Amino acid sequence: MKTLIKIKPKTYAAGDIVKIDFMAMHPMETGMRKDKDTGVLIPANYIDEVKFLFNDTLITKMVIWESLSVNPLFSISFKVPSAGTLKVIAKTNTGQSVESSEPITPKG
Amino acid sequence: MERRSFLKSFTAAAACVAVLPRMASAADEAKKVVGPNEMNYATAVAAITGGKAVVESAKVKVEAPEIAENGAVVPVKVTVDSPMNDKDYVKAIHLLNTKNGNARCSNVYLTPANGEAFFGTRIKLGGTQDVVAIAQMSDGTFLSAKQNVKVTIGGCG
Repeated sequence: MKTLIKIKPKTYAAGDIVKIDFMAMHPMETGMRKDKDTGVLIPANYIDEVKFLFNDTLITKMVIWESLSVNPLFSISFKVPSAGTLKVIAKTNTGQSVESSEPITPKG
Repeated sequence: MERRSFLKSFTAAAACVAVLPRMASAADEAKKVVGPNEMNYATAVAAITGGKAVVESAKVKVEAPEIAENGAVVPVKVTVDSPMNDKDYVKAIHLLNTKNGNARCSNVYLTPANGEAFFGTRIKLGGTQDVVAIAQMSDGTFLSAKQNVKVTIGGCG
């Protein structure tokens, strides 16, 4: 699972509220779709939990269901307290887990 | 053909005809796929609030397109007007739909560290329906807002 973390705007100071976009390349199978060639049901495979942590402290926890789009986007706000590391952990219902991180570097 | 054998074959044929429609409807039922997390809207709301009243409020804003050409990708943004300090903040933003097989989209648990109660995502909608956001406040109340989205091409299947 490929992931991407974007922080908007690119430059920010401590105390600013920024938007964090987390994108994951994932098919988000609902378990209700059939294979077009064989007619066999494709088993459910979707991201069911996303956690945002700053310096290992939980900021936001999301419980996700299969009704999110393919290659889902998760966007939240974050008030930057200081420099540190943002970590995002995404888990799927099939037990797969991906961890990605992004440095938080406020200027000024 | 003797009368007896004729009657036998006739009843067998009649039995076949009688059975056929039943088989057809059984096949239709088998075709109807039930998802792994089927839950209707009313049950989903009750599971979130635990029976407490949900008040429609202008503090909650749901931004979604009025007409979505493609139900597979519907951008949704939810903002809740809140100071987001330790005493008064939004505990959770629950995003729901009214007509998909599973009415739940996501439950987002926020903390004061967010600075602003905001959640954005993209969802799948199977048809024209309402997108509902329920905000769970730190004082235990539930505020909500909704936006009707007309879907021209469904996003499921």
